[in-house]
Amino acid sequence: MSTLHVVSHSPFTDSRLDSCLRICGVNDAILLCGDGAYGLHNAALQTKGVKVFVLAEDMQARNLPLPDWADSVDYPGFVQLSLDYDKVNSWL
Amino acid sequence: MKFAIAVFCAAHAPSSRRALLFARAALAGGHEIVRLFFYQDGVYSASNSVVVPQDEQDIARQWREFVSAHQLDSVVCIAAALRRGVLNEEEAMRYQRSAVNLDAPWELSGLGQLHDAAQAADRLICFGGP
Repeated sequence: MSTLHVVSHSPFTDSRLDSCLRICGVNDAILLCGDGAYGLHNAALQTKGVKVFVLAEDMQARNLPLPDWADSVDYPGFVQLSLDYDKVNSWL
Repeated sequence: MKFAIAVFCAAHAPSSRRALLFARAALAGGHEIVRLFFYQDGVYSASNSVVVPQDEQDIARQWREFVSAHQLDSVVCIAAALRRGVLNEEEAMRYQRSAVNLDAPWELSGLGQLHDAAQAADRLICFGGP
């Protein structure tokens, strides 16, 4: 069972991203969107071996560079991601 | 594939716009949306009394147009709506309130509709927070 974790809160304002990383399984992935895109600054994301995606428009709106360990997706890509994984868990 | 989409945020929150763009992309990709469910502050995304500054996007209006254009099953949680003053004509009459700010294409109903949608859909996607 794989899960796509959607994180939209900035990692600088709360610990959702850390909590998410703690429970991420090896088949899971994280989609960063909104201020959650600032999670690209968190190098710990790459060391967990979890796939990391970021919503392209939110990354561009914040002028964040795309690291080589993350992939960017547009909305059709978001829809496809939600189908590639068994469940989608939004960290509301 | 079948999607159920739950919106937990008001129209002025970026996540409401993300939910709308996701819903548009899902339909454009040939998928089906079995139900949109507006819960908690999401009921404000369905209010027709929202007034937006001229230089900002009117997401509540865009939701209404999207739902009408595609004739989607769009449910607003009745308990969440009542406590936030989002009332249709029937509820305004029942509780003797002067304002009605919810009409077609929205429908007021209970949380069971979210559960039902989650069962009927292949994926339940929730949007909320910032």
